[in-house]
Amino acid sequence: MSLIGELFGRSPFGPLVEHTKKVHECVKLVRPLLEACVREDWAEIHRLQDAVTKLEYEADVVKHEIRDHLPRRFFLPVARADLDRFLHCQDDIADAAQDFAVVLMLRNTRIHPEIVEEFRAFAGQVLLVSETLMGAAAEMEALAETSFGGAEADSVLKKVGGLGEGEWKADRMQRKLSQHIYRIEKELDPITILFYEKMLGTLSKIANAAENTGDMLRTMIVKS
Amino acid sequence: MTWLVMGSVVAVCLYMAWTIGANDVANSMGDAVGARCITFRRAIFLAAFCEFAGCILVGTDVTDTIRKGIVKPEALSQVPEMLCLGMACALLASALWLHVATWLGMPVSTTHSIVGAVAGLGIVAAGWQSVSWHRMGGIVLSWFISPVAGMIGSYLLFKLILRAILGKERPLAASVSMTPVIVFLVVMIVALATIYDGMRNLIARGSPLMKYLSGPRALVVSGAIALVAAFVAWLLVRRTARAGADLSLPEQLGRVERVLSPLVILTSSCVAFAHGANDVANAVGPVAAVFDILKSGTVKMSVEVPSWVLALGGAGIVLGLATYGHKVIRTIGSNITELTPSRALASDISTTATVLVCTRLGLPISTTHTIVGAILGVGLARGLGAVNRRVVRNICGSWLATVPAAAGMSMLLFVLGQSLGVHTLLKQLMPQASP
Repeated sequence: MSLIGELFGRSPFGPLVEHTKKVHECVKLVRPLLEACVREDWAEIHRLQDAVTKLEYEADVVKHEIRDHLPRRFFLPVARADLDRFLHCQDDIADAAQDFAVVLMLRNTRIHPEIVEEFRAFAGQVLLVSETLMGAAAEMEALAETSFGGAEADSVLKKVGGLGEGEWKADRMQRKLSQHIYRIEKELDPITILFYEKMLGTLSKIANAAENTGDMLRTMIVKS
Repeated sequence: MTWLVMGSVVAVCLYMAWTIGANDVANSMGDAVGARCITFRRAIFLAAFCEFAGCILVGTDVTDTIRKGIVKPEALSQVPEMLCLGMACALLASALWLHVATWLGMPVSTTHSIVGAVAGLGIVAAGWQSVSWHRMGGIVLSWFISPVAGMIGSYLLFKLILRAILGKERPLAASVSMTPVIVFLVVMIVALATIYDGMRNLIARGSPLMKYLSGPRALVVSGAIALVAAFVAWLLVRRTARAGADLSLPEQLGRVERVLSPLVILTSSCVAFAHGANDVANAVGPVAAVFDILKSGTVKMSVEVPSWVLALGGAGIVLGLATYGHKVIRTIGSNITELTPSRALASDISTTATVLVCTRLGLPISTTHTIVGAILGVGLARGLGAVNRRVVRNICGSWLATVPAAAGMSMLLFVLGQSLGVHTLLKQLMPQASP
């Protein structure tokens, strides 16, 4: 039996980046979903919803693999709780993207022409926040290489630093869009309004989860 | 008859050295092979060369400790044949115990095995007080200290590498300019350990060269050698200095490992050298004692360990490496891919320094445990993805299991040999001592 051979566990950081990539693929389908909805192409929405569900499942598999390979006896370069929460938050992003697809799939909800542009802009802002986070999280391996310090950590912190403001902007756009929806409420039936609210809710959940994931990334860097 | 006795002792010694070569040598070269710095065939040749050099150049001090440091020779000076039999038994016992333990799948150390066996023989041959407990205490203490020292050293070294290379705005350029510094440090450690009052096997005591090299001048000479080595390293890497400045930070970090990887070949060789220096004694120490007594018929204190005995141990280690080492190197190499060059450097340099210092102090320590300590140090400096804490428990377990077991087995063999009258046979073989 070799002491040295036993010393090493599997590093969680490579699989973490894999998880980030899977989640990113989920989120990338949000825009096509919205466009399909605008075009009222319900078949396409069904197809995309299947794709998102599959990707979300694959992300889940990666998540469980990471957790299963980290028994307590392994000593990690970051706090285990922070790493767990990071993974959890990042998974929430994929969950929210999947929820959005489900909301579109459940009911053929037309988007009123008057709010289409504002809807697109809001979704764009949400995706911007999530993409910023993904760009930073994809550098997890480089971060591990530098032990979460030095110039690499500074550059990741810089990227993550803008997330809060991005999320705040998305929130503001969501409120404006809501106000707009209620201004034209006479032209809409109540269930459509209910579904608009659901769409807005799931989209803003993506931005929220991305901000939280960024916070956990920052915690991991700042603590070490 | 004398030749039969000598031959069988040499055979056991070769077996012991073979075990050391087969099991431990992979620990030094495993990281270099795992990080793909060197092909595995070249690693074997390089390890063989460095192990042998370590045995011959610095192997004397620890051999002396095993030979006459643990059991007080004066306790057995009236009955040299007993010491002769005892040392042969101790060697056989620890070889047997290593075999059994390996078969049981336990992590064992040749060092702990031989020290336990020699202490055991002292107790049964000449009583409790014949063992130099003062010295023994120091040895046991060094088993705690050496992994901890390895850990602290590699922690500091890795923090240094983080600050000076990996954490920089331009890590690629930093890795190139730090290369000569690392080479200087490594060569300085090895040269100093070798030269400083050493090389007793190659240079006659009292010769002008020996006098020239002793004392603070050794520091200057090693410094000069290290400077030359650093200059050569600078010549080799200076051309790559400007490459890759336009790459993104994560891309540069990936390249850094490739720039550092030739250094791992150097540091791994140093670990092999240090391993040879410390661990050859485990096989050779008892043999030196047996031969000495058989030849002179007395227990002498001042004799130097003959070079050819060290060479014998070295040959055994190389043999183990050649016949079985490749298997172990492959397994370990594939297990420690996590130990990338930047990490391997820190743990290798710290291991080399710790083992060589202990070797010059005549302390038989476990090289493997020192390496484990050094790797844990890199882990504590947040350098590794996931480190198994349980290994610490296994190390302590190997202390607790190996020392009493080897001691017990050596006692048993000694009593057996005594009842068979082997010691009287040995006495006849010895030249009668002049009073």
